[in-house]
Amino acid sequence: MIELKNIAKTYNRGTVSEMTLFEDFNLTVKTGQFVSVVGSNGSGKTSMLNIICGSIPIDSGEVLLDGVNINRLPEYRRYKNVGRVYQNTALGSCPDMTILENMSLAENKGKPFGLTFGVNRKKANYYKELLAGLGLGLEDKLNAKMGLLSGGQRQAVSLIMATMTPIDFLILDEHTAALDPHTADVIMELTDKVVREKNLTSIMVTHNLRYAVEYGDRIIMMDKGKTILDRADGEKRTTSVNSLLDIFNKISIECGN
Amino acid sequence: MLFYATTIDGLQMGLCFAILALGVYISYSVLNFADLSTDGTFPLGGVVCTILMYRLGIPPFAAVALSFLAGFCVGAVTGVLHVKFKISDLLSGIISMTALLSVTLAFTKLLTKNGMTTAVVSYRGIGVNGIFGGKLLSRLSSDARDGIIIAVLIAIVIFIKLIIDLFLKTKLGYMVRATGNNPMLVTTLGKNNGNYKILGLCIANGFIAVSGAVYTNLFMSYDNTSGSGKVVLALASVIIGLAVFSKIRFIADTTAVIFGALIYSLCLNYLVLVDKDGTYLKLLNAAMFTLILIFNNKIAAFFSKNAKIRRGGGSA
Repeated sequence: MIELKNIAKTYNRGTVSEMTLFEDFNLTVKTGQFVSVVGSNGSGKTSMLNIICGSIPIDSGEVLLDGVNINRLPEYRRYKNVGRVYQNTALGSCPDMTILENMSLAENKGKPFGLTFGVNRKKANYYKELLAGLGLGLEDKLNAKMGLLSGGQRQAVSLIMATMTPIDFLILDEHTAALDPHTADVIMELTDKVVREKNLTSIMVTHNLRYAVEYGDRIIMMDKGKTILDRADGEKRTTSVNSLLDIFNKISIECGN
Repeated sequence: MLFYATTIDGLQMGLCFAILALGVYISYSVLNFADLSTDGTFPLGGVVCTILMYRLGIPPFAAVALSFLAGFCVGAVTGVLHVKFKISDLLSGIISMTALLSVTLAFTKLLTKNGMTTAVVSYRGIGVNGIFGGKLLSRLSSDARDGIIIAVLIAIVIFIKLIIDLFLKTKLGYMVRATGNNPMLVTTLGKNNGNYKILGLCIANGFIAVSGAVYTNLFMSYDNTSGSGKVVLALASVIIGLAVFSKIRFIADTTAVIFGALIYSLCLNYLVLVDKDGTYLKLLNAAMFTLILIFNNKIAAFFSKNAKIRRGGGSA
């Protein structure tokens, strides 16, 4: 379970560009729930993810993972059982290292990184199986440098890397935004499969309203640091892309966009 | 004959600088950190090694190996300044380098009979032989001596290259590479990338100090100004090496860096033939480095069509 309680966050406090994003923001995501978050630019979606992961500090409030307050936990320690995939396809892996090396690194998450060999050749077949499941032909390219792959291929590997080890939470930060429509569909399918198989508590920020409607069991729309729409399960299933778009347009007009 | 002697000299210095370049390869290329403390670490290795041999009577090879620890400490200081106190990489290096100018000078007090500082300490003057035998080999012809020196240097360089290659293949080495490549990945793997940055700098500076120690042994004298220009020399070696050789499939980056150091040192030595009194040596040195940087991308493009993602290459 992910809980955000009474979160307050003001950027550039005390300067002319001071901007209060969250005044009293609350969100609870039940264990195993897959939440899609939509909203216009600057509505606080990514800030919310950054607050959960500890990438940015908060002014007040509480962040709880499975009931444990993690306010004081530094970012890197929060990722112990949190996986994250970024919009920038380069952030999920090391471009100068091979697919095999990247996957070996990812698989070692949670274990000590000592002076034993980084790659266990016996694992190569297991990695190949995982890659073959993507249907992108990557299973024959284990020794290719990650940087030589296309954005979609990299994102697919990033997703596998983020979810290889036993984790409980998955944070998806517009992870299909930089991909072409077809590849985005492939990655989205894969995401859904992984989330369901591993029963991950997931929050996905997306600009794609169709994904928000078709995938996940709860949909949240944010605007200016507030939740303006929150539909789960049955209520969510009856939500259409068009009705969502109508609400979206209304808030955009209010903003003057 | 002069050309022959220059070539031998160039090779010997080149092998010394190959160790230096391997160290800088770790900080600059693997860790993506422009570490200017190199200019201070290099003479530090020399003076520490000399003190160990002269004052503590430690066997020469052990003294060279122990000088690694001196460099390791410098890396720790630079790393902590950068990681814990958020000082930029360039400034952290400059702080260490500046401080080391005094530290190395203070260390020379241990090498003089009257306890005063000195700019140069001759091994003959203090009766130290060093790793290349010194007085012990004085009966051999100069050709035989040069041969032995080059053989020993090659052995040391290959040994260090293999250690670095092995280290970079370990899980810990992977994390150091990942820190330079994409620090965010290290964070999402649940580790503090700052620690790996510090460790990488420690190792890099360790080898730089070893290079300084070997260099001091080669010339049979410690020179307090030997550090000046070493960053440029090492970076040029790394950049030439990677641009020219690493595109060839079966050549490892570390091997490429060694060849880069050899080429650059030979070129530097041939420049001495042109500029006999050495007035314009540093200027020519800088000019050569500039040319290398300008042509770096062109050389790279010539040797490989499939562009590898490299620092300064523009992509990623």
